[in-house]
Amino acid sequence: MRLYSLSVLYKGDPKVHLLKAAYDVSTFNFFQRSSVQEFMTFTSQLIVERSELGSRASVKEQDYLCHVYVRNDGLAGVVIADNEYPQRVCFTLLDKVLDEFSRQVSKVDWPSGSPATISYAALDGYLSKYQNPRDADPMTRVQAELDETKIILARKQNSCCEIM
Amino acid sequence: DEIGLIPCPEARYNRSPIVLVENKLGVESWCVKFLLPYVHNKLLLYRQRKQWLNKDDQLFSLQCFLQMLNPDFTTAWNVRKELILSGTLNPLKDLHLGKLALTKFPKSPETWIHRRWVLQQLIQENSLPSLVTKGNLGAAPVERIHRLVQEEMNVCSEAAGRYPSNYNAWSHRIWVLQHLGKLTVKVLLDELSSTKYWVSMHVSDHSGFHYRQFLLKSLIGRTVTDTSVLVQNQMINEQNPNLQKEEEEESAGAEAACAEEQSVDLPRHLEEELELCTELIDTYPGHETLWCHSDETLNNSHHSPATSHMAQAMDVDGLNESSSKQGYTQETKRLKRAPMQDSLGPELEYRFIDKVLSTCRDVDQARFATAYRKWLVTFLGQ
Repeated sequence: MRLYSLSVLYKGDPKVHLLKAAYDVSTFNFFQRSSVQEFMTFTSQLIVERSELGSRASVKEQDYLCHVYVRNDGLAGVVIADNEYPQRVCFTLLDKVLDEFSRQVSKVDWPSGSPATISYAALDGYLSKYQNPRDADPMTRVQAELDETKIILARKQNSCCEIM
Repeated sequence: DEIGLIPCPEARYNRSPIVLVENKLGVESWCVKFLLPYVHNKLLLYRQRKQWLNKDDQLFSLQCFLQMLNPDFTTAWNVRKELILSGTLNPLKDLHLGKLALTKFPKSPETWIHRRWVLQQLIQENSLPSLVTKGNLGAAPVERIHRLVQEEMNVCSEAAGRYPSNYNAWSHRIWVLQHLGKLTVKVLLDELSSTKYWVSMHVSDHSGFHYRQFLLKSLIGRTVTDTSVLVQNQMINEQNPNLQKEEEEESAGAEAACAEEQSVDLPRHLEEELELCTELIDTYPGHETLWCHSDETLNNSHHSPATSHMAQAMDVDGLNESSSKQGYTQETKRLKRAPMQDSLGPELEYRFIDKVLSTCRDVDQARFATAYRKWLVTFLGQ
């Protein structure tokens, strides 16, 4: 089971933009890595665009699952994982990351931010730590807050993946 | 250490399509359709005329490289076989080429088949007293084999990681254990512990768990063989006290110690396996593979030497009243252990299932748990 990317975005009106991202493409063939990374960036953005404020969803894309959480204040996070990685842990991670991000990075910077201007460096660490869900999150049974969320499993129909 | 194809449909620059970055070799895709047929034909031509012994090195290297892009081209592998047999090609280099091919095509059956052929050649060579040639660096034969085994384990591991349910890789791994590793207990136990992490991180990949089943079954088989040899030795010793040599006693003693060790370990390993399953099922709900593995492990534990030795012990006692005390004591120890193991297993499992059903939310998980319970009832009811 594997995590491939972890990104923080801002769902502005009308555009979504990327604030910060971390990637782990080491399991891909060396020469495919840059195009895989581009694809993940693009997909993350697209998913946030299509999601509503205050929602959580898991979208299946080929062999991957994209877990997205868009908060009511527009801050959004996307985790791209394979289909073995437990969904619960992904959402726990997203909650945690967005929470920390919103405390460290001022809200004023969100609408105009970009990876170059935002200073939040914890994503790489989280991505690496959470590769093994049992080490990273021993309390993987924390269910309470997830009971209320609506998890949608949807299949992408449109042509957003022509890039691949 | 890795090869790959660079998606590049057109030649944009007038330069070599071969790219080397950080020790990884890439080929731009546009050139493949030109080069492959050319190399293919050249290879066949060379073979016909048997010209490769002239060692046109450059062309040969190119051929090797391009062959990696089409590893299921059997003729090319056969050419390499001929070269190895004629002494022109170092088998270790050939193994390295195969390893590279597997980075791009981790499933390729021809590559694995060829690999086994090369390994067999190396085994044969190894058993010959006179071998210093071919750059084997003069290491002791046992060590050489050990290194080969380790390398193969690595290659298999990587290939298994690159492609889901890569039975070709795992089958090769089994073959290596059987033919190079001789299925010793140490090797089996080492493999059990080294694959534990892998299967924990690939919980829906049945091929990894299937491999663990093979390891457990082999361990069971091992214990039965070794212990029956022990029992036989005991009988021989009893019948021919005059012919008892010190060495025989020692070896019987050593075997007794081993057999004792093995029989002590086996139930524990089976229990540990069940525990691993339970833990993984709990942590990662909804993976059928884990439930299947539980089935298998429980099945195996019921066919373990604990139960079969009950029968054997009776026979031995019946046939030979003068069997030594040592042998008898060991049998009784096993007899004592057997009923405990049988009753512990299913009880725990039933309780586990109930717990899962009452706490899980995953629909699939509930379905698997119910099916598992049905299986348990049927299986134990017999």
